[in-house]
Amino acid sequence: MSIWEKIGNVDRRWIYLAVALTVIFPVIFPLKLPMNVTPEARQLYDAIEALPDSCVVMLTFDYYASATAETRPVSIAALHHLFRKNIKVVTMTTIPLGGPSMASEVTRLMAKEYGKTYGVDYVNLGYKANYTAVLLGMGTSIEGIYPTDQYGTHLAELPLMQRVKNYEDISFIFIVADNGIVDNWISIVNAQFNKPMGAGVTAVMAPKFYSYLQANQMIGLLGGMKGAAEYEMLVNKPSMAVSGMNSQSLVHLLIIGFVVLGNVAFFAARRRKGTSE
Amino acid sequence: MNFARRFALTFFLTLILSASAMAQDNQAPVDEGWFRSYRFNAIVLIVVFSAAITYYTNRAKRGEKLFIRKLAGLDAVEEAVGRATEMGRPVLFIPGINEIDVMDTIAGLSILGRVAKITARYETPLHVPVRYPMVLAAAQEVVQQAYIEEGKGDAQDRDAVQYVAGEQMAFTATVNGYMMRERPAANIFMGAFYAESLLLAETGNAAGSIQIAGTAQPEQLPFFIAACDYTLMGEELFAASAYLSHEPIMLGGLKGQDWMKVLIIAAIITGTLITTFSTDVEWLNKLFEVR
Amino acid sequence: MKSTIPVIIAFLSGLAMVAAFILSPGKFGDVGGELLRWVSIIAGFTLLLGVISIVRVNIRPVMRREKGWYNKLALLLAVAATGIPAVLPVSWSPMLGTGDNSIYDWLFNNMNAPMMSTMFAMLAFYIASAAFRAFRARNTEATMLLVTAVIVMLWRVPMGESLFASIHPDLPQGINNYVMGGINIAVQRRIIIGSAMEAATMGLRIMLGIERTYMGGSSK
Repeated sequence: MSIWEKIGNVDRRWIYLAVALTVIFPVIFPLKLPMNVTPEARQLYDAIEALPDSCVVMLTFDYYASATAETRPVSIAALHHLFRKNIKVVTMTTIPLGGPSMASEVTRLMAKEYGKTYGVDYVNLGYKANYTAVLLGMGTSIEGIYPTDQYGTHLAELPLMQRVKNYEDISFIFIVADNGIVDNWISIVNAQFNKPMGAGVTAVMAPKFYSYLQANQMIGLLGGMKGAAEYEMLVNKPSMAVSGMNSQSLVHLLIIGFVVLGNVAFFAARRRKGTSE
Repeated sequence: MNFARRFALTFFLTLILSASAMAQDNQAPVDEGWFRSYRFNAIVLIVVFSAAITYYTNRAKRGEKLFIRKLAGLDAVEEAVGRATEMGRPVLFIPGINEIDVMDTIAGLSILGRVAKITARYETPLHVPVRYPMVLAAAQEVVQQAYIEEGKGDAQDRDAVQYVAGEQMAFTATVNGYMMRERPAANIFMGAFYAESLLLAETGNAAGSIQIAGTAQPEQLPFFIAACDYTLMGEELFAASAYLSHEPIMLGGLKGQDWMKVLIIAAIITGTLITTFSTDVEWLNKLFEVR
Repeated sequence: MKSTIPVIIAFLSGLAMVAAFILSPGKFGDVGGELLRWVSIIAGFTLLLGVISIVRVNIRPVMRREKGWYNKLALLLAVAATGIPAVLPVSWSPMLGTGDNSIYDWLFNNMNAPMMSTMFAMLAFYIASAAFRAFRARNTEATMLLVTAVIVMLWRVPMGESLFASIHPDLPQGINNYVMGGINIAVQRRIIIGSAMEAATMGLRIMLGIERTYMGGSSK
């Protein structure tokens, strides 16, 4: 077997090792990489920035724990932005496994930093089954779908929910998701109730939603950790996502290197085989 | 009636009927009368769509031969099962990881029925891990019926269809473990897949299985194409049932919906031209707006 | 009868949902919403099916000490350890139920969530090996795909963006407009439209009873 054939058939564990080392290296030796902000991220930031203080924004935690690396930084950056502007936040989730826990943990963390009070400045509605019914039902009455918040308190007892009865009282919907629920938000809530919305999604899902951006059914899109990093830069709170971009940059370059090497080996082996025949 | 005349008639009829929607007050939905007037354009589309499907289904029932192009992935299913039989290894089938109310899962279960018939015929072990209990119930019924139809009801392994885990990554970890331990000769992934698509496909590749995948999730297609031997893209997954059965009624439905695609293409071209050369396109937005 | 009644139910349910979409709510009530609620209730009952399946499939190998029985025992213990404290009433102890600081919450945050993240992280390794193995410029189309993939991979990271910007300041935005906002949207829309049409056709076939394979029957 020639060297090129050996390279082409290399044991995949060497590739895994290379990726692992490439991810670890910038964690130990941080790089300072320049960050540009895409128009989509800028659009979302500007839309939130343009909202009046004390209005109400619905922030969704529609992601599983597996995608927290990409989506949790978006939730945190969003809360930085919303709490800093004194915007009231109502959170909800369509993910039964861990959604309410994550919403609770993140909002508690950010509320502590900004001195926000539960029930006055933010409310966690939690999870209810059957997302189609939930998304549709909140257009008529949020209390009809969520008689209590995720801690069992009746909505009537929460000062914020005295003035938030349905989508009419919500100025913007900020979706943070790792699954196709964004399609349902667009087709049910944006199409039928005309609510402006923006989304922070995983990198794999982001290309799908460019068509919604172009059709103005969505205002702004944050794709993956890069999108989260852009939003962190915009709200001036660089954190996990910005530092994660170091590893992501190097791994992308590594994968491109692998692709080039694989093709070189492929063509060299093919040429060698042709010559010997 | 030739193609051009049929097409023109359908297109302009749809346009005229939909144009009446613009006469309605589309500013705010008003519940007057029996129908939601602000959805009139959707109603027209539903009627035209159903008529097209029904028309071609009836033509197929009358014996007209309908063409369907080759789908390499589906032709390879029997070959894959045959390979599994020769190697004495099982066939792994995953009907997606979404609920039964999603069309992708129903399409996957349709294909499962066909695959189960082949495995029953060759007496090849079949393993079907599922993520939701309702899918479990449906898949068990599908497999059982397939074995009975092949006259191999007694040969069926009652535990072939298993509920594995309700959580995506737990499901993936279990299936990956199964693939590395049992080394199935053929992996067939047909249905809705998400982040775990590459995890499943790459593990199957490492296990040396021949892999056939089909999904309508556009963001997962690149992963399946990179890691699987055959991939069905988008609507090919839903056409699989018609393709494998070759029943005229099913093929008639495919043709009817191909007609709808032609209408959509015409609408896109017309809309693009109007938007490019006209300054006032608000009426066009209203024509296609669905609330 | 066994296959006719489910077909009739499927037809009437589908018709009810279409009617709910088309007819004014005042004339038809909230039939669509009611049916959706019924689906939630049925789905709740079927959760029990899943638990029974897991226990039934795994308890036999444990009792017979078959190969890998200890893994199945660990699975059963995990099901019990997570499920039992979660369903017991909170009034007995604040550690029961599914609220904050419960056993369920602790297991989720400290075991389940990290494990889920780890599985997701494996994608990075797998995409590297898949890219090395599968991204070959075998023909013109594959080469175009390969070049586009490399461009987008570079564009998505700050290092690559800077590289493009150094070639021409408008190049990153050009890639955004023409690749992501042009070719990408066209392909995504094509797949979405095609899949939606086929899904609608399948729905119609199920409603009319032509497609029955999902319930164990052959198609008519």
